[in-house]
Amino acid sequence: MKWVGLIAVLFTGGLLLSAMDDFPKWGDAHSPANASPVSQYYIEKTIEDSGVPNMVTAVLADYRGYDTMFETVVVLIAGIAIMAILRVMNQIPGGARPSPRHEIGDHHDIIIGTTCRLLIPVLQLFALYVIAHGHHSPGGGFQGGVILGASFILTAIAQGLDPALERLPEKSYVKLAFAGVVIYSGFGVMCLLLGENFLDYGVLHVLLPGIDAAEARSHSMLGVEVGVAFTVSAIMFAIYANLASKGELEGGL
Amino acid sequence: MAEQYPILVLLVLLFGALLVGLAGMADRRICFPVTVTALALALAVSLGILQRVINEGVIRYFVAGWSRPVGIGIELRIDTINALVLLTITTVGLLAAVFSFRRVKEDKTEKTPLFYILYLLLIMGLSGMVITGDAFNLYVLLEVSSLTSYALIAMGKSRRAAVAAFSYIIMGTIGASFYLLGVGYLYLRTGTLNMVEIHQAITGLEGVSSAIVVAFVMIIVGLMIKMAFFPLFGWLPNAYSYCPSSTSCVVAPLMTKVGVYVMVRMMLTVFGTEWVFENLQYSQWMVGMAVIAILAGSVMALAQVELKKMFCYIIVAEVGYMVGGAWLANHWGMVGTVYHIMSDAFMTLCMFLAAGIFLKQAGVVRIDQLDGMFRKMPLTMAGFVVGALAMIGIPPTCGFFSKLYLIRGGMESGHWGYVVALLISSLVNAVLFFRIFEIAYFGKKPVEGHGHHADHSERSVIKEARLSALVPLLTTAVIIILLGIFNQDLVDLIERSLKGAEVIGSAVLSGEGGLG
Repeated sequence: MKWVGLIAVLFTGGLLLSAMDDFPKWGDAHSPANASPVSQYYIEKTIEDSGVPNMVTAVLADYRGYDTMFETVVVLIAGIAIMAILRVMNQIPGGARPSPRHEIGDHHDIIIGTTCRLLIPVLQLFALYVIAHGHHSPGGGFQGGVILGASFILTAIAQGLDPALERLPEKSYVKLAFAGVVIYSGFGVMCLLLGENFLDYGVLHVLLPGIDAAEARSHSMLGVEVGVAFTVSAIMFAIYANLASKGELEGGL
Repeated sequence: MAEQYPILVLLVLLFGALLVGLAGMADRRICFPVTVTALALALAVSLGILQRVINEGVIRYFVAGWSRPVGIGIELRIDTINALVLLTITTVGLLAAVFSFRRVKEDKTEKTPLFYILYLLLIMGLSGMVITGDAFNLYVLLEVSSLTSYALIAMGKSRRAAVAAFSYIIMGTIGASFYLLGVGYLYLRTGTLNMVEIHQAITGLEGVSSAIVVAFVMIIVGLMIKMAFFPLFGWLPNAYSYCPSSTSCVVAPLMTKVGVYVMVRMMLTVFGTEWVFENLQYSQWMVGMAVIAILAGSVMALAQVELKKMFCYIIVAEVGYMVGGAWLANHWGMVGTVYHIMSDAFMTLCMFLAAGIFLKQAGVVRIDQLDGMFRKMPLTMAGFVVGALAMIGIPPTCGFFSKLYLIRGGMESGHWGYVVALLISSLVNAVLFFRIFEIAYFGKKPVEGHGHHADHSERSVIKEARLSALVPLLTTAVIIILLGIFNQDLVDLIERSLKGAEVIGSAVLSGEGGLG
């Protein structure tokens, strides 16, 4: 079987390499991807359309925002799938299960505890910055959401899963995860209700007096990025909590 | 309102899932009504879409209004072929959801909301794949539908379900990455992701670009894994037979069929039939592999003792029908393939609904446990018989007409091996299903001696299925017959997309002359 696998890999690699000749030159300004009217449009019109200097964010959250909405749904599904497979839900009625929480919770390291205490607020602040600053620099909802989720995970690693779950219980993170997709698709539906196509943010300027369509696009992009961050951070923590406790959400690593 | 239909069909499913997630976690009773309502709305909207496509021609919907230049935003593009497949998906989704009414409660009580969230998102993903006009958007929705189906399969009770889901994840991920690599190569050479634009860029290139050939091979191989085409079907039988009945009823009819649809879409719209059939001479090879797939699937189906496993191998053979039909490179082959996508979805649904009922009411896993079923469950058996006759290909069921078109295509293009394989496979199906009828009608053969009577009293408590299971089964049976009766209208609709659209700039499929 190993040989079959090796042959398959070599064949696929060979196939992919065989087309190298046909590739455009490295950095070629006239390669199809660079010269196509689509790329030209993004480069020339992004500022005019939405005033967002970071073109990547504009493509991701506005021009191809439909894809990004479903990517957010993919993240949500990943969390739901982990819960569907791992989560142990039939609690013994009334009887408290012998929980290992005290043994684990008691001897946590003071150095780790203090470091995390210092680190976590900074991490979370930075996460908010990354989310909000996606318009101007690399960043956005996915990246910021991951950092935010990592800060919750760090809490769980440093203090144990139970204190972390007290701060962010299962009910809350499930709601947060869904709320993120609701925010994202909500922006789209608002555009629908105002008579434009789904996710056509430009029309939202009627809701906020004093801004034009380009600004409305810019602000809506921030809005959907916040939605993405909700879902990503909540699902990050959900996956960690379920994996670390074999779906029992107690004790943890 | 009507111009927003393409997006609405996805939104009702998405918001159904979100509602189940937010409210259903607190009160489990609302999960089922919300799911069925969302699916019924989606079905109504997809009927509306079909109506619009019939009246107005191809629907082009630009998400977020980015229409100029084409390709900066995402386009949803619906012609009669996707409208019909979309209608199939939402109908199967609704019927299988009704069927899940009791089953989910008993399978995993606490996880009912999670099941319905995944279920609705699966139907949303499949619908989105079908209506999109953007090659990358198709990949995103492929991820949505694949991830949900992995999770739904892994929710099975037995450990084998988890193992089967794991190998499905590995295979499915390889398939999806192949597709994505292919789209990457396409983008490299064409600079766009919009299907129609890609097609125009490909036809504008001089000579045969090797990067685009590699892209085509990668996309087709990736889709072959997704649709379980012959040598790459290993993940399918276990995944579909060990998952809960309520899951297999939606996954088995839809996943492979949508894979075939995507292949057809790639051949028709993205690469174009001229390019596929005239620049590349793969037709002979693909039809040859389809013949092997049909024969291998049928032979392996003969060897099975478990009911669901047998259906799984029949699926493998049916995928062979469709891939072969699409690669016959003529009009009737393509018509037959698209028609068979619809009819096979309902036939498979019928089979798995019946298998689910047998398992639930009588604990039937193996074929020989079906004895006396005609007497014990006459209505269930009636539905099952219709599906079985369609699988064999007996008029007026839809199975007969799809085979008719496929065989006609095979004869016109001179692929006699394919024609013979189809006939052999129909014969094998006849053997398989008449064996079941015999057991179910006359009881077990008395070879086993007196042991047969011993468990008779215990078996006689088997009762007819509940209404929530019978209604979907019998509706499916009726649909199978209706699809057969109205086959001419459906073929007219399919032909409209094969002839009219500017993107199929080929004489090959327009009916005037085949490749001969």
